[in-house]
Amino acid sequence: MSSVERQQARAGAGSKILAASVVALLGLTATGAHADELSDLRQRLDAQERQIQELQQRLGQREAAGSTASSAQLESQQQQIKVLERKLELNDEAAKAAAASNPVVKAGPKGFSLQSPDGANVVKLRGTLHYDGRYFLDDNAPDSADTWLLRRVRPTLEGTLNDIFDFRFTPDFAGGKTIILDAYGAIRFRPWAQLTAGKFKVPVGLERLVSGNDMKFIERGLPTVLLPNRDLGVALGGDIAGGAVNYSVGVYNGVSDGSSSDSQGDVELDSDRDWAARVFFQPFLNSDNFALRGLGFGVAATYVNGTGSVQRPGLPSYRTPDQQSFFRFRGDNAATADLNEATYLDGERLRVTPQAYYYVGSFGALAEYARVSQDLSRQTASGLHHGNVDVSAWQLALSYFLTGEDASFKGFKPNSTFSIGRPGWGAFEIVARYNQLKLDDSLFEGGSLSFVDPLTQPRKVTEYAVGLNWYFNESFKWQINYENAKFDGGGSALGRDRGDGEAILTRLAVGF
Amino acid sequence: MNHKRFAGRIAAFALGLGVALTPIAHAASVTLLNVSYDPTRELYEDYNKEFAKFWKAKTGDTVQIRQSHGGSGKQARTVIDGLPADVVTLALAGDIDALVTNGKLLPVNWQSRLPHNSSPYTSTIVFLVRKGNPKGIKDWGDLIKPGVSVITPNPKTSGGARWNYLAGWAWALKQPGGSEASAKEYTRKLFKNVPVLDTGARGATTTFVQRGIGDVLLAWENEAFLSIKELGPDKVEIVMPSLSILAEPPVAVVDKVALRRGTREVATEYLKHLYSPEAQEIIARNYYRPIDAQVAAKYASQFPKLDLVTIEDFGGWAKTQKEHFADGGVFDQIYAPQ
Repeated sequence: MSSVERQQARAGAGSKILAASVVALLGLTATGAHADELSDLRQRLDAQERQIQELQQRLGQREAAGSTASSAQLESQQQQIKVLERKLELNDEAAKAAAASNPVVKAGPKGFSLQSPDGANVVKLRGTLHYDGRYFLDDNAPDSADTWLLRRVRPTLEGTLNDIFDFRFTPDFAGGKTIILDAYGAIRFRPWAQLTAGKFKVPVGLERLVSGNDMKFIERGLPTVLLPNRDLGVALGGDIAGGAVNYSVGVYNGVSDGSSSDSQGDVELDSDRDWAARVFFQPFLNSDNFALRGLGFGVAATYVNGTGSVQRPGLPSYRTPDQQSFFRFRGDNAATADLNEATYLDGERLRVTPQAYYYVGSFGALAEYARVSQDLSRQTASGLHHGNVDVSAWQLALSYFLTGEDASFKGFKPNSTFSIGRPGWGAFEIVARYNQLKLDDSLFEGGSLSFVDPLTQPRKVTEYAVGLNWYFNESFKWQINYENAKFDGGGSALGRDRGDGEAILTRLAVGF
Repeated sequence: MNHKRFAGRIAAFALGLGVALTPIAHAASVTLLNVSYDPTRELYEDYNKEFAKFWKAKTGDTVQIRQSHGGSGKQARTVIDGLPADVVTLALAGDIDALVTNGKLLPVNWQSRLPHNSSPYTSTIVFLVRKGNPKGIKDWGDLIKPGVSVITPNPKTSGGARWNYLAGWAWALKQPGGSEASAKEYTRKLFKNVPVLDTGARGATTTFVQRGIGDVLLAWENEAFLSIKELGPDKVEIVMPSLSILAEPPVAVVDKVALRRGTREVATEYLKHLYSPEAQEIIARNYYRPIDAQVAAKYASQFPKLDLVTIEDFGGWAKTQKEHFADGGVFDQIYAPQ
């Protein structure tokens, strides 16, 4: 019962008591009362009744007024609640809008990045650290010293500006020196048209294009020693048909076989620019054919018609995968003080490299052939010796994940990661490679006029390697390779072979 | 091997590749971004279809127009900050002026490049009240009565809110004994009755219509008509005040963006076509006042005649913006967040 109702009830009860009293009084007076007194009482009763009616009216008015006030108050409170809710809603929207305009910071196995809200501007910090051990098992003279070394120490700053402008800067501090490994800018006009300028990997060798962080073996195989590494130039390239075809056409300063331009001071190698072109097909990349989706094949080439000199011969020395130098062209002969008898590039040089890979399930295979055909000259006391010679190499490299991960050309994700006190050992992969490099017989012909010393330089090297990769996680791995190289020739006497090379290589690799 | 022959093969390869790619490079693909203010969503959804049809017939090219909507001032700031708008269709010229002064995105004379000060349509400010007008709101004076809750967006971010503010200011000035001081006092009282400030006109409509807050919404005329159309006349009704303001929402090509994207021609045609009879029909159907005389006459009954002041009565947008809405201006002086 409300207060108003209680007041009405009390008023009603009062009125009944008053009426009963009046009736009793009238009864008493009826038996002997005066008429004046009765009249007076009647007047008083009338007055009381009027007062009661007035009171009831007032109570009714108060009830109505109270109800209206309550309704207005309720409406006001509801509005206030709605306003508060709307303000919260607007604050929430403003917070979301603010969050949408905040830069995005990411940290993960692939590095650290700072990204604008629309993703059009990104800066990434990445890095590579390779700490190697080399242990030589052979007894060749002179002894190769077992050693630990920092093979790669490469912080990388890369990113994208305004959605289509890419850049990358990578110095390398390994080996007690500092070089600029990569420094380039690229404009992605379309997926099929990307222009890159600066210093970068010349897109030619297939294994060379594998990132240092994703290498299956500690060192690359023999075909790679014939093909260019990093160089300064301009290239147009891109993906066609959703990546099923990739191409690149570029012009570069030119580098000697297997070299980077920093080995020659990052300047032109000879008298003319090198052209490089590559086309690579992955015809089943976007198909439903699971077995063939990981098949890729292509061909690449470089060409230059340049003139070297005895001061800048433009010719390399070659190393086995365990990084032992095994071949060099003739250099200057100290006995002929007035004449520099070094062999040098003198004319055209053509490198051609058909290449392929295949990845299915945990299995991977990479095959590569490289051939260098080049014009050489050598000035001797007997006259100028000029000729065209070939050097060729090939390799077949196989890999298999024992822990069931999917193999691919560009990295992988371990099914588990190694950690203390938790299950999971990371990923294990076994690898094997067979590769060979063969030098043209004509290099050794001509006796003292030959481009190469036939007594000390081998004519062929055949190398195989087996290894194990333990991936603790996406960024950390440990590798061990056994390398064995056999040589034809180069044993310091005609008919004698240089002794077999045998080494164990290890690597602790950090890459993010 | 003949090396010259090999070089020739490389050249042929590159040439063949170039020829193969050429058709892809020239494939016609025109996309425009129209950055607009809050209540024009429906208008430009309709108009974009009309223009795409027109452009296809005229050039054979396909044009796709993307829309972005929000508070006019906020939208201008977004474009200055880098949103690549080919065209802007904002609530007031002051916001496009900001693109000139703060972003150098288009020339100073932008407003003279298209007819009618680059405003292909106009509108005005009206009151939207609950059905039956329970608070008896008839004119600007009723908005400052105690207990009247007024919904309007924030003049700092919304072009429509600036028109609302100026219309109220103009009414106060025209009252007997009206002065700058009395107009300022009126505006202070008006915003004291505003419980919540949205960033844009569409947000304010949501507050009033969807959330049921307030007794009166100061609204674009088209927004008020649209609310009635969507909610039905049994929920809300329009009150025409004794005086309002002629709102002239302008349009402009953002030259710097359009030149960079190679879309200047189509962007210009996109805006010019707004003046065509076909577009003016669409404008009128979306409750904006058309400037084409014939179309305006056809829809005259839809738009009651009002006593209207213009922005020129305030000395133009540059002066008005600086005096009233810039940091430290009159609005900052009279408004205290609740």
